[in-house]
Amino acid sequence: MKLIKDRIAKLSFVALLVTVTAAMFYAPTASAHGEKSQAAFMRMRTIHWYDLNWSKDIVPVNDTMTVTGKFHVFAGWPETVAKPEISFLNIGIPGPVFIRAGSWIGGQLVPRSVSLELGETYEFKVLLKARRPGDWHVHSMMNVKDGGPIIGPGKWVTITGSMSQFTNPITTLTGQTIDLENWNLSNIYFWHAFWYAFGIAYIAYWARKPVFVPRLLAMDAGKADTLITSMDKKVGIGFAVATLLIVAVTMQSTNEAYPITTPLQAGLLRGMKPIEMAARTVAVKVDSATYRVPGRAMQMTLTITNNGDSSVRLGEFMTASVRFLDPAVHEDETGYPDDLLAEEGLTVSDNSPLAPGQTRTVEVTASDAAWEVYRLADLIYDPDSRFAGLLFFTDEAGNRQMVTIDAPLIPSFI
Amino acid sequence: MSASQSAVRSRAEAVKVSRTFDWMIMFTLFFVILGGYHVHFMLVAGDWDFWSDWKDRRLWVTVLPIMGITFPAAVQAVLWWRYRIAFGATLCVLGLLFGEWVNRYFNFWGWTYFPINFVFPSQLVPGAIVLDVVLLVSGSMQLTAVVGGLGFGLLFYPGNWPVMAPLHLPVEYNGMMMTLADLSGYHYVRTGMPEYIRMVEKGTLRTFGKDVAPVSAFFSGFVSIIVYFLWHFFGRWFGSTAFTKIS
Repeated sequence: MKLIKDRIAKLSFVALLVTVTAAMFYAPTASAHGEKSQAAFMRMRTIHWYDLNWSKDIVPVNDTMTVTGKFHVFAGWPETVAKPEISFLNIGIPGPVFIRAGSWIGGQLVPRSVSLELGETYEFKVLLKARRPGDWHVHSMMNVKDGGPIIGPGKWVTITGSMSQFTNPITTLTGQTIDLENWNLSNIYFWHAFWYAFGIAYIAYWARKPVFVPRLLAMDAGKADTLITSMDKKVGIGFAVATLLIVAVTMQSTNEAYPITTPLQAGLLRGMKPIEMAARTVAVKVDSATYRVPGRAMQMTLTITNNGDSSVRLGEFMTASVRFLDPAVHEDETGYPDDLLAEEGLTVSDNSPLAPGQTRTVEVTASDAAWEVYRLADLIYDPDSRFAGLLFFTDEAGNRQMVTIDAPLIPSFI
Repeated sequence: MSASQSAVRSRAEAVKVSRTFDWMIMFTLFFVILGGYHVHFMLVAGDWDFWSDWKDRRLWVTVLPIMGITFPAAVQAVLWWRYRIAFGATLCVLGLLFGEWVNRYFNFWGWTYFPINFVFPSQLVPGAIVLDVVLLVSGSMQLTAVVGGLGFGLLFYPGNWPVMAPLHLPVEYNGMMMTLADLSGYHYVRTGMPEYIRMVEKGTLRTFGKDVAPVSAFFSGFVSIIVYFLWHFFGRWFGSTAFTKIS
């Protein structure tokens, strides 16, 4: 019996080792930023990113690229997510593989947090300078205080070259041009090494004599007073005085070397300028909306009224960065990420031009594997079962008009 | 050999064993303190110590000494009251700095490529040496707390200024003024750290104008005194052998 037990124990141990080893060898690349795991209702009903453009697919080190586009701050912002009163336009990349050379909302540089208004649409631009070679997933991203990161669509961008060639020249207001990549490094290393050596010297003074056992015995024997000599005190005072002198002198010399310094800059930027959108001429009422779980399709019954002076057709439905297009009306030519683009994903029961003044009720179906791949189907498990998105209508002249929709969603399981 | 016999046969051998024991304990103590203090410091001082664009003249100056004096006070208590050794604070801080540098170099730079000039740790050695020397000279916990604790807070900012000043040079960037430290924070993208998380220049010490750092340092020193007392008692409690005594 014992033999069997020992064998089981031994085999279990071997199995554990094999499992651990196998796990170590299988290390897949982390290639995204968790955008799929974010609650679907949050992606659908907070920030809608659209008209996005990544200026380059391949960027050499030290070269720049831009991510531009618009974002609409949804008026039907969910109650369970904090409002974007303090937000920060970020960029979703794996650390500083690019440096953020600039970021703008409505033409205003936004190195700090900003306040956004619900229902408004803003233009943004992020200027990136390539730093570390590799293939990187570059997302637009808005951080909302107490709400979390709201990540936009991501696209793969390749940086070529060598990071050792990267430079980040900056000219200060005192007239110095420095490379921020390695500025002040030798100074940091010197002072840290100096104080470390100073601390070791202080400990070395004590460690040259017996440290623990004899001192413990002496303490227990009531001879504590004999353990600290006058020389110990003199040396200690010497170290303390030297410390104070060094700190005072280096403080003074640093102030002389850098007479002009400023405090860190902080504060919320308000008054971001939204896009002045033309008055909407198309009105849409969602009569009903159903998500068919087996078919991975959303079906909407929409009543559309054209109040403009040009006939329109529905070309696109976009939600949570996934774009469903009717190719007969609109085709993407911006190089939008394939996995987020359902080029033939939108069908409309009657998508003939809707004449000015006309109202029509249509059945619209947005279907694609993206519902599952991007976990948007999980919407049916969310606490607030509503969906939202943007509809894009195209008029005779090719102009696109954006209309927001927001309605309850009923799941269909059969 | 019976239990009552000595493990050593001569005084020379006893001295040798004692010294070997010294180095083993010092080595172990260094890394045990490093581990505990480092985790503690990352949790309570964290970002203020990680990033140069958090090292402001108000909260960085205030928070770090208060959170930094904890382990030195506790280890001083053990080493002083059990051994009359006066390098507890310095040993702690050297352990912390060693751990911090390993973390910053291999983690922040080696794995994620943040430049070291953006993520170097804060300097605590000057305050620690003064704290140790006050205990050495006075032999008094109260004096060490009051004089040493205050000194620990007061020395922090000037002790760090030689490495911080070059990062506070002003720069005009696309029509806005910022420091080089701010610019590092803006350039070197931290996806998980939006700007609004940064707790800098907050507070109401506006009547002191630009000379707010000394006020923050004094406040930090005062709180460090209280924290010193608290952690000193923790140290004495942990340093007790009551748990191992055989009745």
